[in-house]
Amino acid sequence: MKKRTSGGRWLFTLLILLLVISLMPLFMMFFTSVIPQGDLFHLITERSLLDFESSPIYLRTKMKTIGTRNFELKELQNRDNKVLSITIEDPGKEYGVAAFTGDNDMNLVGHLSLYISAPENSQLYLGLKDINDVEERIPLQTITHDGLKKLRVDFEPQQFETVNIGHISQIQFIIAPPEDALGRELIVDDIQSKLKFPTLSNFITVWKEQDFARYMFNSSLISLVVVLGNLLFCSMVAYAFARKQFRGREILFSLVLATMMIPPQVTIIPVFILMKNLGWIDTYMALIFPFLVTPFGIFLMRQYIEQLPSEFDEAAYVDGASDFQIFTRIIMPLSGPAMAVLGINTFITIWNDLFYPLVMTNSKSMRTVQVGLAMYQKLNQTDWPRMMSASTIAGIPVIIIFLIFQKQIISGLVEGGVKG
Amino acid sequence: MIFAFLSPWLIIFAIFNAFPIIYSFFTSFTDYSGLNPEMKFVGLGNYIKAFQDEVFLKALGNTLIFVVGTIPFTTGIALLLALLLNSKRLKKNGIFKAGFFLPSVISMVVISTIWIYLYSSNGLFNTVGSFLGFQMEARSWLASPKTALLSIMIMDIWAAFGYYLILIYAGLQNVPEQLYEAARIDGATNTQIALKITLPYIRPTLFFVIAINTIRSFQIFSEIYTMTGGGPRNSTQTIVHYLYQVAFRQFDMGYGSAISYILLIMIMIVTLIQRYLLRSDPV
Repeated sequence: MKKRTSGGRWLFTLLILLLVISLMPLFMMFFTSVIPQGDLFHLITERSLLDFESSPIYLRTKMKTIGTRNFELKELQNRDNKVLSITIEDPGKEYGVAAFTGDNDMNLVGHLSLYISAPENSQLYLGLKDINDVEERIPLQTITHDGLKKLRVDFEPQQFETVNIGHISQIQFIIAPPEDALGRELIVDDIQSKLKFPTLSNFITVWKEQDFARYMFNSSLISLVVVLGNLLFCSMVAYAFARKQFRGREILFSLVLATMMIPPQVTIIPVFILMKNLGWIDTYMALIFPFLVTPFGIFLMRQYIEQLPSEFDEAAYVDGASDFQIFTRIIMPLSGPAMAVLGINTFITIWNDLFYPLVMTNSKSMRTVQVGLAMYQKLNQTDWPRMMSASTIAGIPVIIIFLIFQKQIISGLVEGGVKG
Repeated sequence: MIFAFLSPWLIIFAIFNAFPIIYSFFTSFTDYSGLNPEMKFVGLGNYIKAFQDEVFLKALGNTLIFVVGTIPFTTGIALLLALLLNSKRLKKNGIFKAGFFLPSVISMVVISTIWIYLYSSNGLFNTVGSFLGFQMEARSWLASPKTALLSIMIMDIWAAFGYYLILIYAGLQNVPEQLYEAARIDGATNTQIALKITLPYIRPTLFFVIAINTIRSFQIFSEIYTMTGGGPRNSTQTIVHYLYQVAFRQFDMGYGSAISYILLIMIMIVTLIQRYLLRSDPV
């Protein structure tokens, strides 16, 4: 007896291990979607914006000075690296340094840091310039110390109102020196940005800037309408097949079963031509209409309705109820469990499909989330954090539905499977 | 009255199943472009062209490699895990069933995107490989004609086995408990029980799993479209992806229809073989 339980424990441990390995790709997707830059094995949380070790000519491509074009690269006595030094020639002007950042998403930045030495009582500003050349600055603090010190600037995007925080091309540190500062110097070194980790900003970027909000809306609308259509129409048809005697019933039902076996790729060309002639290409109609009734749904609902006790509808029939009343008042309310299975499975099938919506849509605004993700992925080959955020967005509705309704999903699968 | 209840299906069936099947059969004998309404009858030309078209033959070959290369693993892993989950020693197996099945409900585009990342030059496989001391190529596994198809096959085994695990597990539930007990009383060994009781009972399920696995492998599209676009140098080209390119990129719908009919015939053959094997089954 004891041996048996220990065997159970081994088996349990082994299965847990296999499960973790098997779910590893999904874990990697989630983790990568919240890192600011790089990938899971080359996580970038810190970026050097400027240090001053390179030649002045090279530095001119990475930065510019503000207030004057003249600057000096110095080696200080107690530091073994070079610093930038700007001499204040006119205390009425502002002086500073602007680091070129290309196209930088400042939503990822947690804080900035730099070494700075400026005349006492200088007012320090942080300025940002976006790719549309809009500039904005916020006051930081008054310099109260003399000598080179490290300064940490916590970055809060909401302090900026006019610049486009997602696309910053320059980060500027500017001082307004006091009146008595003539001939003194501003020294700057080692400007760095520390990135936020974990961050949700990849999701926000993908959602807002890459049209995933629109894709998700399209996918949700299409899936929901198709689900509702299936719940109503499949049970109607199934009711006729399950409860009514009519000529050709068996032949028609075997046609239903036969269409389950026709691969969608075989009908796609004529359906495409048909949609083109109807003017439905790139419309919701094309993506919804053909799926309002599915043979799988009819099959599933018929199986279920057939085994419902027929006393209720017979009694209703005797009382003079019409077929329509029997269907809506008796059959539909009793079919809840089968409808749940049908609805959830239909949702997942429609949500996940790529082939059909890819063929039937041209414009960006009509893409479903699967088409949108496939296209986005082709254009952003190595931006892993954003690509994984986009995948998470496209995958998460189905994952959540699965976690809630796994019983119905599995039973739909087994039901659909048994038919052979 | 009955017609009113059947009409939703009759309409959809007529427009989107019956008409397309016939129309597509007809266009497969023409040079229809889809853009230009004129078409010329070309007889069996498109079918002959297919079997002389190097890319189509390559796609057919890749599809067959895919079927032969993945099915033993998907079915094998699924069977093994189903047997483990069915073990009396395991008190609760719900979490495992759900966990192993989870990848099967996620869309192939999402899965492909994740695996592009895992296969990338800095991805999981290269990182783990270098860590274990292997000489890894400094590029994505999908970029080399030698490894691209294999990479997609490995991904598909991962993505699909959970689905078959659930089917086989359901099949195992059909084996009557008394049979096992009776066999144990008669002193049967575990191997004998597996071969004489379990296997015959789940044989129909296994045939079904293999058939549906084959049919699905014939229809591979999303992963090819997302991961490689059929490349490099057609090394991952498959029938449905080629059909997509021919019909909707080159707008050769006549030829595309012929390819779709070849696919339909292949799928029907598999279905018939499965039916035949099941019919001869004693259980």
